[in-house]
Amino acid sequence: MTRIVSIHSYRGGTGKSNLAANLATSLARAGKRVGVIDTDIQSPGIHVLFGLPPDQISRTLNDFLWGNCQMTAAAYDRTAVIGPCTGSVHLVPSSIKAGDIARIVKHGFDVALLNDGFQQLSQALGLDFLLVDTHPGVNEETLLSIAVSDTLLLVVRPDRQDFEGTAVTVDLARQLDVQDANIVLNKVLPGMDRSVLQARAEAAFDLPVLAILPLCEGLLSLGSEGIFGLTSPDDPYAVGVSAVADRLMR
Amino acid sequence: MEDRPSDIGALVRGIRTAVSPFRSTLRDLHARYSALADGRVADYIPELATADPAWFGVAVAGASDGQMFEAGACEQEFTIQSISKPFVFGLALEDHGREAVSQRVGVEPTGDAFNSIIKLDEGSHRPHNPMVNAGAIATAALIKGVTQVERLNRVLDMFGRYIGRRPKVDVAVFASERQTGHRNRAIGHLLLNFGMLPSHVEEVLDLYFQQCSILVTARDLAMMAATLANGGVNPVTGVRALQSEYVQDLLSVMYTCGMYDSAGQWAYEVGLPAKSGVSGGVITVVPGRMGVAVFSPPLDSHGNSVRGVAVCRDLSQRFGLHCFSSAPAPAAAQLPWPLPTPMAKSTGSA
Repeated sequence: MTRIVSIHSYRGGTGKSNLAANLATSLARAGKRVGVIDTDIQSPGIHVLFGLPPDQISRTLNDFLWGNCQMTAAAYDRTAVIGPCTGSVHLVPSSIKAGDIARIVKHGFDVALLNDGFQQLSQALGLDFLLVDTHPGVNEETLLSIAVSDTLLLVVRPDRQDFEGTAVTVDLARQLDVQDANIVLNKVLPGMDRSVLQARAEAAFDLPVLAILPLCEGLLSLGSEGIFGLTSPDDPYAVGVSAVADRLMR
Repeated sequence: MEDRPSDIGALVRGIRTAVSPFRSTLRDLHARYSALADGRVADYIPELATADPAWFGVAVAGASDGQMFEAGACEQEFTIQSISKPFVFGLALEDHGREAVSQRVGVEPTGDAFNSIIKLDEGSHRPHNPMVNAGAIATAALIKGVTQVERLNRVLDMFGRYIGRRPKVDVAVFASERQTGHRNRAIGHLLLNFGMLPSHVEEVLDLYFQQCSILVTARDLAMMAATLANGGVNPVTGVRALQSEYVQDLLSVMYTCGMYDSAGQWAYEVGLPAKSGVSGGVITVVPGRMGVAVFSPPLDSHGNSVRGVAVCRDLSQRFGLHCFSSAPAPAAAQLPWPLPTPMAKSTGSA
């Protein structure tokens, strides 16, 4: 059985994609077969972290949603990026072509197909984990990803806008009967009282806080040129993400 | 800030449908029976004969939540035809009560075809049941309203409460039914002769032809069936379409008389209240759980949709839906709506 983990935030720039990529790395290094799917069709980006240049992308999630190909034809084995390991990482990117994005924005797509794609990919590749990097905010594909997840990670910065918006997502996730919903506090500045932050988040959302990740200068200066945990495994950010991976594998 | 619970509900229902395994079950079922090419499209009026035999839609709606599953042509419009009969019977019951209605139409199955003309109860001159044309015409005569227009509007409003939107009448089909409805006109006059119809028999026949010419989709019919399954309340709008005390009346006559002269075989094999129409629609009610509608124009020799019968039979057997079933079906757990325990009863008031 594949465990579907959706990584979502109400607002953009919370660090979803970096969390997804670093989690995928930790899981693969622990010997797991991991799928990563970029359902942020309106503003895709996680392929950059996995070093997949646009000219090497032929099929994408868009092609699957338009009925042009099977989901597996849009999956790229990125295990080489994370170095030798017993697991593997398979990335399904969304199209970065302006015309493809425009078509999705203008005409939408049958959101139910996305679920078919998740199932197809999980079975065909025998995945242990499928990480879903979502579009921020509330829309149909995000809600679908939330509804099919075994685990939901809601990424929140210590910010009033993040807190207010995330409450909306939590409300909808409850209505969709998500079993294992968690908060990941990200970009926490040094000097912030972690226990106060944790208590505030737990009170606001009535959900467990799975991790408190620091604002990571190294990650920022990397500028999406790679996966931070690979080069700095001992940085508190990377250690925190590994702990989340351990929790997912339990 | 004002919130919109109905919109949130609709969004959440849509997502639930998209992630349910029942979606692919229905799709597989649709694919399997698409290959079934038996039967003939009805041609007793030219308008029906233009239907494409390949049209095929299956829609299933949850009684408790209105969650809608669809496969195939569920938005294709067609005239409701005989599926209107139990619903108009329900309005007649609300207008007059059980006792008065039973003076005009019985509840006894005839085993006759839908258009049988001659059988009336010997002593009372009542048509045997509201599902044969004679009974449906007698039922249409019971709809209250000062004018013809008021009576039609009351019927359309009633269907609107079941569907969640007010339907329209296909004027061409109505005109065609009216022009070629010699047999129904004869039935009307025979009933008039026995004093079972008021003197404005042409107006009654018009209402009957109009109710048969109402345009619906498989999705609409599934919602109507789900409303009956939900004790008479539309599960999406929360509007009561039928007083709860009369739900059992409709379901009983559907169970015994809903499938023309194969009602017995249906009750035995499928074991659920149902109604079919010559345009190719079939509805099936699973009380407390769901409403099923199938649309596929080719008909068998009984006048029932070939694919409609096949899909309903398959669903019933696969999920153990026969009302007298006591053996658990292996696939039963795949249904999004579990068997209510204890037996769901509608306790809502009118």
